[in-house]
Amino acid sequence: MLLKFALRRLAGAVPLLLLVSVVVFALAKQMPGDGLGGGLNPGNKDPRYVAEMREKLGYDDPLPLQYFRWVKDAASGYFGQSFLFKMPVGELIGQRLPATLLLTVLSLLITYGSSLTLGMIAGRNPGRPVDRFILTASYVTYAVPTFIAAIFAIYIFAVVLNWVPLGGTVTAAASRGLWSSLGDRVVHALLPAAVLGMFNTAAYTQFLRGEIVENSGKNYVRTAVAKGISRSSVYNRHILRNSLLPLVTFLGMDIGGLLGGSVVIENLFSYPGIGTLFVAAVSGRDYAVMMAVTLMTGFMIVAGNIVADLLYGLLDPRIRAGYNGG
Amino acid sequence: MKHKNAPASRIGAAVRKFAANRPAVVSLLFLTAVITLCLLAPWLTDYDPMKISLRSLNKAPSAGHWLGTDKGGRDVVSRLLYGGRTTLWISLCVSAIIAGVGTAVGVLAGYFGGAADSLLMRAADVVLSFPFLIFVIVVKSIDPDGGVSSLIWTVGLLGWGGFARIIRAKTLAEKENEYMLAARSLGAGTLRILTRHLLPGLLGLFIVNLMWTAAVMIGVEASLSFLGFGVPAGQPSWGNMMTDALSPEVIRERWWIWLPAGLLIIGVILSINFIGEGIKEAFRVQERHL
Repeated sequence: MLLKFALRRLAGAVPLLLLVSVVVFALAKQMPGDGLGGGLNPGNKDPRYVAEMREKLGYDDPLPLQYFRWVKDAASGYFGQSFLFKMPVGELIGQRLPATLLLTVLSLLITYGSSLTLGMIAGRNPGRPVDRFILTASYVTYAVPTFIAAIFAIYIFAVVLNWVPLGGTVTAAASRGLWSSLGDRVVHALLPAAVLGMFNTAAYTQFLRGEIVENSGKNYVRTAVAKGISRSSVYNRHILRNSLLPLVTFLGMDIGGLLGGSVVIENLFSYPGIGTLFVAAVSGRDYAVMMAVTLMTGFMIVAGNIVADLLYGLLDPRIRAGYNGG
Repeated sequence: MKHKNAPASRIGAAVRKFAANRPAVVSLLFLTAVITLCLLAPWLTDYDPMKISLRSLNKAPSAGHWLGTDKGGRDVVSRLLYGGRTTLWISLCVSAIIAGVGTAVGVLAGYFGGAADSLLMRAADVVLSFPFLIFVIVVKSIDPDGGVSSLIWTVGLLGWGGFARIIRAKTLAEKENEYMLAARSLGAGTLRILTRHLLPGLLGLFIVNLMWTAAVMIGVEASLSFLGFGVPAGQPSWGNMMTDALSPEVIRERWWIWLPAGLLIIGVILSINFIGEGIKEAFRVQERHL
């Protein structure tokens, strides 16, 4: 039953992935030069050169044919050549992706860790000063855009407290291999990751607090208390488990926000990931890189939503049943 | 007679409820003051927010320049006022586009269902399948030299997905109400049902999401301007003023250039959120009474 649910969900995503790829293809076709393979120099306007290259690269073929050729190449991992960085786009993204993944995973860990703690504390003490303090703080945090929060964080941690260097938080150690410098990388990704996760932390804290307060009044809690189970055990085992469930679906939705946010954060902290690569590519009119990143992040969002759905189905049998019935 | 009075008293009750919400009222006053000051900018300051003045670069706050001058010798107060015009105008226009498209799509999909629903919601799925900032930057790079209006249209036409989903869900719920069935069985036309019965039910949710969108868009303007894809660099906007903080000398020694813009952004976003909460509460109570 679980397998059937998973397969159904995966099959449902195929049309969406195709639509996403069509949108990326259509946008790439609007770009000056060669938005897909990077084989056409956007700076060279000589009509003879352009005509010759278009012929060679097959850009005079019918659009559907070009689309299928592009999808075939992309499926085998070939996204053309980067003009700016003089290497295959796939390889370039492969170099930058681990840094962005580290940043997003770290930010998710910070988000889950702090929002679980804060949400539990606030949810167990509704109306008390500690609850009101956490709620107010999360309300303000929620209102501050990532970019503004990052500048305030840089001001506080780099200028006032002098804990981190100003501008560029990755030291020379980053140029050593990924694993030998992992510790260093994590330390330098901490501040950007914390800022990146701030918005989600505030949202999760508020959500979790509300869920805990609401679930505290449910019948199963009264039953558990009546059976003589201790208060902390009721909170930790019964209420928290039910309150956490909806948070799983947030994971899928937040991947888009994290990837978009990391574009801002990476550029602010000079962090060498996909976000800095993307902005450099757009500014340098390196369209092949730009479109590949767009396609990849789009696929990551769709994949994130599937994973969240599957997790939710795994944790809550009612969802599985609902899907099979419908 | 009674029918005519009902909506007025409903809104009256909501207004009374809102007026009792102190954070919301204070926020409304603050926001009104900020908007008024920005609108009156040409009468409040004689300083040109764009003209470079080499004689007064990076001046600290003084009697002549209340918040000093920036790296181009331009008065910070004047840039804040004119920048507010740009930023708030972008936020207002973008939210209007998003709310308009989102409501139209959501209502059409939710009310008519069927093929229209699948088509419109697949479109929403697609626009939601890209990280918003990345999507906007890619589309905007087709026309990189377009100014503020190109920015507004790009952000607006790519940002309606979430709004449409929320309105669609509420439309589906509203459709189940007996009074909708009653209206239809009495022979009311589709247009009448939509405008007289469905849309009033969506009003609370619509306003709250409109406010929320407006708040988010202030951050989007700042982020895009920082990345170089928002308001053109010379033109004052709160996002461009925040971007000045990236220069090490500015963030180390010249707080007056970026801090006021940062505090204004946070203050305005917070007050928009408080007003939104106030409206949400006001409408929720009224729903309970019905």
